[in-house]
Amino acid sequence: MEEFDPVIVAYCCHYCAYTAADMAGSMRLGYPPGIKIIRVPCTGKVDPLHVMRALMDGADGVLIAGCLKGDCHFKNGNIKALKRTAYLKQWMDEIGIESERVEMVMMSAGMGKQFVRIVTDFLDNIRLLGPCPKNTNQQSNRILSELV
Amino acid sequence: MITAERKPLDEIASCIEPYNRILLVGCNECVTVCAAGGRKEVAMLSSALQMVSMKQGKTLSVVEMTLERQCDPEYVESLALHIDGVDAVVSMACGCGVQEIARRFGQVRVFPAVNTKFMGASERAGVWAERCQGCGDCLLGLTGGICPIARCSKRLMNGPCGGSGDGKCEISGEVDCAWHLIWERMKALGIEDRYEEVISAKDWRPARGGGPRKIIREDLQ
Amino acid sequence: MKANRPSDHHAVLIIGGGIGGIKAALDLSEARKDVILIDKSPAIGGVLTQLDRTFPTNNCDICTLSPNLSAGARQKHIDLMPLTQLTGVEGEAGNFTITLTTAPRYIDTEKCTACGLCLDKFPKYIRFTPGLDHRAPTCMRYPRVTPHAFSVKRDQCSDFETLASVCPAGAIIQGDKAKTRQLHVGAIIVAVGADVFSPEALDNYGYGKLPNVVTSLEYERIMSASGPTFGELQRPSDGCQPRRVAWIQCAGSRGQNKGEVSYCSSVCCMFALKEAIVTKERFKEDIETTIFYMDMRTFGKDYEMYYQRAKEDYHVRLKRCRPHSIIPADPDGALKISYVEDGFGTLEDETYDMVVLATGFRPSAESTGLAKVLGIELNDHCYARTGSFNPVATSRPGIYACGVFEAPKDIPETLVQASASACLAGKHLLPAATADSTEPVYPPEKDITGELPRIGVFVCDCGQNISGTVDVPDVVNYAGLLPHVVVSRSVGYGCSRESLDIIRKTIADKKLNRVVIGGCSPRTHESLFQDTLMQAGLNKYMLEIANIRDQNAWVHADRPEDATRKAKELIRMASAGVVESHPLIDHILELNQSALVIGGGVSGMNAALELAEQNYTVYLAEQAGELGGLARQIHRTIDGSDVPTYLSGLMGEVRAHKNIEVILNAVLVDHEGLPGMFKTGFQIAPQMYYRQIEHGVTILAVGAAPNRVDDYLLDKHEAVCTQMELGNLIHTAPDKVSDWENVVMIQCVGSRTPDNPNCSRICCQAAIKNALWLLDSNPDLNIYILYRDMRTYGFLEDYYLEARRRGVIFVRYTPESPPVVEAGGAGVHVTFNEPMLGMKLMVVADCLALSTGFKSDDESTEDLAKIFHLTRTGDGYFLEDHTKLKPVDMSVPGFFVAGTAHSPKNIGESITQAHAAAGRAITVLSRNLINMGASVAQVDKERCATCLVCVRACPYDVPFINEDRYSEIDPSKCHGCGTCASECPAQAIQLTRFEDRPMMAKLEGLLERKL
Repeated sequence: MEEFDPVIVAYCCHYCAYTAADMAGSMRLGYPPGIKIIRVPCTGKVDPLHVMRALMDGADGVLIAGCLKGDCHFKNGNIKALKRTAYLKQWMDEIGIESERVEMVMMSAGMGKQFVRIVTDFLDNIRLLGPCPKNTNQQSNRILSELV
Repeated sequence: MITAERKPLDEIASCIEPYNRILLVGCNECVTVCAAGGRKEVAMLSSALQMVSMKQGKTLSVVEMTLERQCDPEYVESLALHIDGVDAVVSMACGCGVQEIARRFGQVRVFPAVNTKFMGASERAGVWAERCQGCGDCLLGLTGGICPIARCSKRLMNGPCGGSGDGKCEISGEVDCAWHLIWERMKALGIEDRYEEVISAKDWRPARGGGPRKIIREDLQ
Repeated sequence: MKANRPSDHHAVLIIGGGIGGIKAALDLSEARKDVILIDKSPAIGGVLTQLDRTFPTNNCDICTLSPNLSAGARQKHIDLMPLTQLTGVEGEAGNFTITLTTAPRYIDTEKCTACGLCLDKFPKYIRFTPGLDHRAPTCMRYPRVTPHAFSVKRDQCSDFETLASVCPAGAIIQGDKAKTRQLHVGAIIVAVGADVFSPEALDNYGYGKLPNVVTSLEYERIMSASGPTFGELQRPSDGCQPRRVAWIQCAGSRGQNKGEVSYCSSVCCMFALKEAIVTKERFKEDIETTIFYMDMRTFGKDYEMYYQRAKEDYHVRLKRCRPHSIIPADPDGALKISYVEDGFGTLEDETYDMVVLATGFRPSAESTGLAKVLGIELNDHCYARTGSFNPVATSRPGIYACGVFEAPKDIPETLVQASASACLAGKHLLPAATADSTEPVYPPEKDITGELPRIGVFVCDCGQNISGTVDVPDVVNYAGLLPHVVVSRSVGYGCSRESLDIIRKTIADKKLNRVVIGGCSPRTHESLFQDTLMQAGLNKYMLEIANIRDQNAWVHADRPEDATRKAKELIRMASAGVVESHPLIDHILELNQSALVIGGGVSGMNAALELAEQNYTVYLAEQAGELGGLARQIHRTIDGSDVPTYLSGLMGEVRAHKNIEVILNAVLVDHEGLPGMFKTGFQIAPQMYYRQIEHGVTILAVGAAPNRVDDYLLDKHEAVCTQMELGNLIHTAPDKVSDWENVVMIQCVGSRTPDNPNCSRICCQAAIKNALWLLDSNPDLNIYILYRDMRTYGFLEDYYLEARRRGVIFVRYTPESPPVVEAGGAGVHVTFNEPMLGMKLMVVADCLALSTGFKSDDESTEDLAKIFHLTRTGDGYFLEDHTKLKPVDMSVPGFFVAGTAHSPKNIGESITQAHAAAGRAITVLSRNLINMGASVAQVDKERCATCLVCVRACPYDVPFINEDRYSEIDPSKCHGCGTCASECPAQAIQLTRFEDRPMMAKLEGLLERKL
């Protein structure tokens, strides 16, 4: 069987995680290509709905990457994002999807190395969980059609 | 304001299980303000229900709409355009809205997606608490602006009872004793003497005691 | 060009287009002052452009620098004149008349597209090589040369007409002649740098005869991706990859022999460590790296930790000795080095595949002549002579020197001096020059309402940076098939001038209304491409950048197929997003043109004074009850300058200045606002009343603290003191000092230790300063300086030599066997190893001076960092935005750092950084408006349920429910975080640029499964 390559949507705050990701690039630190970064002005801008839609549209996991506690460029957007992540996890539980598919992480702009470690660990964890519902269906559909 | 809380997802999902196409209707009044059934919640629930279906290997199509007020027939009328294309309706409004849709569109099943809880106030961001039970005969003028019917666990008219301790109700340390609050308020207002006046037994007929209620303003008809 | 250009009278002439000159030019242009930047070579860029990676970040700095060189808006103020030299200066500060002579290029830079056809046909006639490396590549000086054009070597060109005929652009001009012109400028900055020493003169190292002996700069070129071997490490003799590489430090520096100079070149220790680390990073166990050195001079900010990393993490071998010679070991090119390591005493023979000579600086050949033209003095080493208390001011008022032309130094220090000299030079210009008249003018914006999306996709290859991993043509083809995409093409370096021209032209030709760039990070390049859109008459927000370099090609280099697929996905996401974009208007606010300087020491006062002199209001807040800071305890500098006189003069000027308000006893309590409109609150002791200051920028100059240790009987025996206390004693009790017979000094006490891992930088010079001062009054005194590495960088080496000449005894100790100090009556007994003799010695010292150096003022930097949201280093100094390229700016816009709050430094260096901070502050303050950007929350009043969620959620209390009963958000107050938008239960709030529609479109674009 082909190994499952998870697709991760990473909402990255412009002021920290997005910069850390750029830094990982300039340090040429590799991480899995399944990590897809979407830039946001602050993790406080990450709408729970956008996370739901990401999972619905085919992401296997969503990472919300913001500034360290106390370092938010907008005072407390990261703390709000943290609470919202907990709220989203309740939804996930209700839907019956592993709540580990959504995580909030915090880092500073200089933490290129940590960025790589965090996203790689997250992706590895999602790999263990397997594909998200939409992707499961697509796969099962594909298998069916091949059988037919 | 009427407050409500979303029902557990599996309850909603099991209601609509037989259907493939649903109309999900929010309300831009009370349930928006208490973050239970506004446009955002409609979108969230819609995504969640679709994901539940996906997990079951089905495809659910959801038409999302949010009305200005679901308890007014004119607003509800705007659903007529969509009703034929769906198998069932799920309403995120309070019970009034659910019933208004059911009244107007007798041919489709209508399911509530929220539990209507109480008439309340928002204490701070994200916290709503019960304040009024609509008894039809307001006595807040006697009790320093704190309602013993909505806020005393026993609805005592002359409290407190022996379960009051340190200002809290015996049912939970989280619940203030309404009569303790009333006493403190009366002290602050300098009307402690009123506390001794016995409030006579309440006439419950203006409340639900007299059956379903109705208000009519002739001049507006 | 004639002398009647309207801006001539206000311009600054900058001589030298290296990084120092470029930085000074950019700073001045940001402050809206005009600059004439001349360079004798055909292209600007200097030495930096030849470096592969730079310490301590190990990044390629050309990537960060190059966008600035072609940044359109700034260049409005910069007149770039390559092949030009200064041939005459008359007049005085504020009104110089200069004569410039420009050599013929024979190529019209306006027409030349650098297509390279002339080079293909007539390689001998065309100039483009670095010109310093006998193994130089056939490429332009560096991949993004500015100006982007070739030049003709006239003397070697025999058939000009044929040459001219090959140029399709008709750019080759046969009759080009030298031009001389006279201009007026207000000030001059000299940034000509220095030459890199060529070690042919050192016959013992065999450079030039032994092919595998190379200079450090040649090694850089060999390792560089744009170098002669395209980044393959090959030894010159046979192209094999070396297994053992040695570096020999101080090649040509710190010497007395033929061809050597006596001073220290300051940067060689660090670049040797860097080259060794980069080599080890790439080849790991396949290669062994050895550095032969005399003293490891890693005295800069966090450099000591870099040195320790080289040793501990990369296992770079470090041998303390100066090998006499390099001898051929076999006919294949192996080299033998015989050496005796310091402290071991046995002769070792080792063979190496390659030896790198760490060659330092020589005054540039032109400096003597240039100094004569400029009328400025040079020092004994032929570098610019400048003031002790103003290291960028030359002997002639109005003429400033920065960078290596002043003294050997690294890039951050060059940039600090560049900003400082830009600040000081700006003072001589007429105020009219700061008017807003030269802002870039854009064509009127096209109305695109009702148009269907027409997207142009432009994919960069960024040299090999993207195309080395990603199949760019495949991505371009794919993008061309995406919905609404009208044109898709690759553009090489998208940020280069000619590519920007192509993009602009394509927008017009294809009537594009939206643009997608597949390139590097929008963090660094968005404004550049936005500028291009505006020049093409498009709203600048009709742009999306897909980060296919930093977040794709660079991180997936090992998986090219996946990287190509991901590049397609990212471009698909960007084009789906850009469909949903719409024209936006930036919100503009008025800027508060005053500065808050925190810290009233030498740095703070100098920064305040410079700003005040240039007519900005300054609030100078000091926590203590008096100005002066640590300098109050210092009496003289190493060159004998009188500190108290200088300090009292400075304090007098600051107190008397009409534009400066000094606020003493001020304790910082709160802070809010945005760059350009800050509000900072203080409590003023002793009454502790609250005062709020409104200001546009903040300069941090809170200094560092003198370190103190509980060791070596300090505070326990009266004969033991710190180096600073010894200075006090020499000044106040000369009689006592003249009775002494033996004085011992111990270096690195409390620095370079596990608790305080960095070098305090100033202790070596302080010890030598005090030693020489003691000998002035007591020539018979025996002075022993116990040290680990003597770090008398640059011309400080002169004083080290003088101290040795006058009999000061220097003895090295290691941290493993430190000196032992015991009380012995009125004095102390100091016992230490003498490595040369290999035995223990004991000295009865009348005085033991401990070089305790600095430590960060942890408490105040921590408070400030918390209140201002600033970052600090591990040891509590403020951490600047970019350790290499932005040494004065903090990462929070509007904040600048100066003096020892940044890192340990001496008075002159602190003053320079203070001037630099003032200069950087002026780049902000000189604008009278601030652009808040276009990202603000907007309320759909039809949807608003007046629920108050936004009112409660906003971190800045901006939304309110207005009289018309909906939430109103003032765009001029909105910070654009988007929290309200993501919490609004009615979906009534949208954050412009990040609305639901483009965000969802991006998701759908990204996650679409088919490729």
